[in-house]
Amino acid sequence: MILEPILPKVLSVRHIPAAHPALLRAYGADPERHVSLGLVTCDQDDPTYVALDEATKHARVDVVFAKSFYAGAGHASGPLSGEILGVIAGADPDEVGEGLAALLRCLAHDACFYAADHAGELAVFPHVITSLGHYLSRVAGLAPGQPMAYLVAPPIEFTLALDAALKAADVIAAQIDPPPSATNFASAFLSGDQPSCEAAAVAFAAAVVDVARRPLLPRAY
Amino acid sequence: MALKATIRGTSYRFGSIKEVLAKANAAKSGDQLAGVAARDAVERVAARAVLSELTLAELRQHPVVPYEDDELTRLVEDTLDEQAYRAVKDLTVGQLREWLLETTTTGARIRAVSPGLTPEMAAGVCKLMSNMDLMVVGRKCEVVVRANNTLGLPGRMSSRLQPNHPTDDVDGILLSTREGLSYGCGDAVIGVNPATDTAESTAEILTALHALMQRNEIPTQHCVLSHITVQMRALSELRCPMDLMFQSLAGSEQANTAFGISVALVDEAYAMMRELGTARGPNRMYFETGQGSALSSNAHHGADQVTMEARCYGFARRYRPFLVNTVVGFIGPEYLETGAQITRAGLEDHFMGKLLGLPMGCDACFTYHASMSQDELESLKVLLGAAGCAYLMSLPVGDDIMLNYQSTSFHDIPSVRGLLQSRPTPEFDAWLEHAGIMRDGRPGPRFGDAEAIR
Amino acid sequence: MTTSRTRALIAALRHQLGADDPLPPAPPLPKVEPPPVRVFPTQRSQSRYAKAASAHTTALLGIGHVGTRYATDVVLQFQAELAVAHEAVAAELPDGWAADNGLLALRSRVTEHREFLLRPDLGRRLDDASLARLRAEAQRGVDVQPILADGLSAVACMGSGLALLASFTRECEGRGLTVGTPLCAKFARVWLADEIGAVVGARVAAILLGERPGLGTGDGLSAYLVYDPKVGRTDGDRNMMSNIHARGTPPEQAGRRLAVLAQAMLLQRTSGVALDLSSLASDLGEAAGTGYRAPQQRVRLVEVGS
Repeated sequence: MILEPILPKVLSVRHIPAAHPALLRAYGADPERHVSLGLVTCDQDDPTYVALDEATKHARVDVVFAKSFYAGAGHASGPLSGEILGVIAGADPDEVGEGLAALLRCLAHDACFYAADHAGELAVFPHVITSLGHYLSRVAGLAPGQPMAYLVAPPIEFTLALDAALKAADVIAAQIDPPPSATNFASAFLSGDQPSCEAAAVAFAAAVVDVARRPLLPRAY
Repeated sequence: MALKATIRGTSYRFGSIKEVLAKANAAKSGDQLAGVAARDAVERVAARAVLSELTLAELRQHPVVPYEDDELTRLVEDTLDEQAYRAVKDLTVGQLREWLLETTTTGARIRAVSPGLTPEMAAGVCKLMSNMDLMVVGRKCEVVVRANNTLGLPGRMSSRLQPNHPTDDVDGILLSTREGLSYGCGDAVIGVNPATDTAESTAEILTALHALMQRNEIPTQHCVLSHITVQMRALSELRCPMDLMFQSLAGSEQANTAFGISVALVDEAYAMMRELGTARGPNRMYFETGQGSALSSNAHHGADQVTMEARCYGFARRYRPFLVNTVVGFIGPEYLETGAQITRAGLEDHFMGKLLGLPMGCDACFTYHASMSQDELESLKVLLGAAGCAYLMSLPVGDDIMLNYQSTSFHDIPSVRGLLQSRPTPEFDAWLEHAGIMRDGRPGPRFGDAEAIR
Repeated sequence: MTTSRTRALIAALRHQLGADDPLPPAPPLPKVEPPPVRVFPTQRSQSRYAKAASAHTTALLGIGHVGTRYATDVVLQFQAELAVAHEAVAAELPDGWAADNGLLALRSRVTEHREFLLRPDLGRRLDDASLARLRAEAQRGVDVQPILADGLSAVACMGSGLALLASFTRECEGRGLTVGTPLCAKFARVWLADEIGAVVGARVAAILLGERPGLGTGDGLSAYLVYDPKVGRTDGDRNMMSNIHARGTPPEQAGRRLAVLAQAMLLQRTSGVALDLSSLASDLGEAAGTGYRAPQQRVRLVEVGS
């Protein structure tokens, strides 16, 4: 099943039309500007970060909170926890509803991990964002509207694949987070024009598949 | 009200709503035998066109057997839920079909409307629906009932274990029962059609089944399908255990007289079961029906067999039964000739019963003089399962050695469950897992091993 | 968003890597061991449970399973039993058969086989030619009028029908009863005996006809006797005996018991639910009830290569 999508499973989607100011503050929102919260949990964190960013492009909302849970969905605290809680906030409950709808569309049809081996045990996230929203652009230190390659893989695969991606196209590393992340993966944001980001993402995915096929090469030391 | 339609320049006129209902019916040999069927396919469509424009109020005003002549008509009319009826009375039959099919019409909404529908309305809309229409709506209807276990939950399909024996040999009955249980069958009921219709024999079989259920702690129900008066005597005089009380129903007072029953008699039986029945309840009755039963006693009043069948359900719902079962191919080819007719009838009856709020099961079966193949019968079982049928029958190799017909086998039940990812009732499911007959919903180490049951 | 750019890119890479096949490579093929032979329970080979069950029931028990389905042998056996039943229903009594066997040939108002299945009402009345022939040729005023008929199995009628008719006739005559002209009716239902009996003025009409086949049993005969036959008699007016064949009640024995039954009807001048058979139970055996069915042996139909 190499490079087949592993579809993210949305575990809960809830909406608080008018949240308490204390709650707003605790989750990084600004009670002066934000009234309404939209919450989502999902069993895949990185697609959800992308989907949260997507929401900011479709509605007047801010991503005020987004955190991965320790060791990922396999060790969730409850059936609805998954591996991430994301919170969007807005002044208008309808805008938050719009944002949630865009987020769910993105999780259903666009952002997802892919299997890098036949068993489906190894997951890679070689995602190209054609136009950054104002959430990930802030995280990555890039301008909204720019393309970006969002690359995630387990530690050894990531390390080899990032090298391949950086060499495959005219891209610069906007941010590299070596392992372990909260979920024990590693990730990088690469910046460049869209063809370069795409070439880098494809090279990244190809390299992860290659590592999966030949983990002990070039030779057993 | 002009009962008229024109197709390709030819006008078709109908003399009464009863005639429209009959001629709108899908082709059935029984309607031809009764002389009420449409002449041809075009006249059938014309009748359906007229039917689609009738309102539910008009159907209520024109029951196929007059109020004055028939206690079932009176029962339905006098106990109809007026509030639910008012919500739908101005719909045409065509509009009712579309309302039922709409995605926004959930099972809960159908359940709310159901007490306001008469059997004629259920039969009417049935005639405008294709087989898959019938399945889609049948699947939506929510009917959940409880006796010793809980039947009809989503994702569940149950079975009646039918361990009949030509001489009521109790050892033979128990041997078939044990084998059926080891295939995961019997969560709807362990129900025996007796060869001898006596209270003593009824009590003997029930007592033996009760002991088997106690010994193995099986959360199900038992029943012996003798005449209701015989069961009443077994219960009240012999004081045997009886989880469910059974009776065959027909769609007119006259036909029920031929069965030796009346509303008053079944009322009495129901009251007795509420007092003396051994199942936890609240649902304690078991009824069987089947298209053609009214005609077979010449008590169909010129109505078609689908409408008469729906009227059985109007009778049955008074008693909040645990099981209702249409024995769809048992009556013979003079009523349902071919596999296509038997298939259609099974889906119709399931739909109409569910629409009227009953926990419908189906004995998908044929007699050996009907024109239906074993493969067609197997297909029908899957269609019924997909339509949300509450339960099917189960017998060794599907062969009833007492009644001489072919039904669902012990092997078919786990097969259909496997195909449709469905499970038995939750209580029985847990017992099967505990007994090692099933493991995580799949055949377990003791599957098919009758010696797992003592 | 209509399409996902990343999904398209990764699909192209998958194609380029030759990994388009959605299934993983098949595992190396092991040697396929034949499963244990599971057989239809016969006398020579059956499970412990099947053996215990066969003492109490003819239900097919202890046959095992393959997954949730039947073993091949069970499937074949089942299909053979089904084919036997269907063949019996489909068979028609040949037109010359009755005359060839010295019987007066009659037929009902049914004109062809499908109509016979669909119109039981037509199978209960004689056609005009038969009525005329019966009036012209049959003996009148007898004690017992026997009628052999096809019913739902012409196979059974042509099989042990003549033996049953002969045995019944001999046993009746042995008891001093007068027996009418032997008749044979085609496309006949049980109630046809009412009209025939009335026309010939018989005191008892006895129709011996092929019964609705069961699985593997297309050769069973049933007999229905009615006192003072006339159109309008119902099932409650009759006494019947079923399952007459070599594996149930053999024709010889059945003929004797039916003659006892006929004699009782003539003595008590009634039949059906009103007939008191309590004193005759031992003579009657299974004919002592109104609808008793004897258990029958289940036989293996398919033998390969023997």
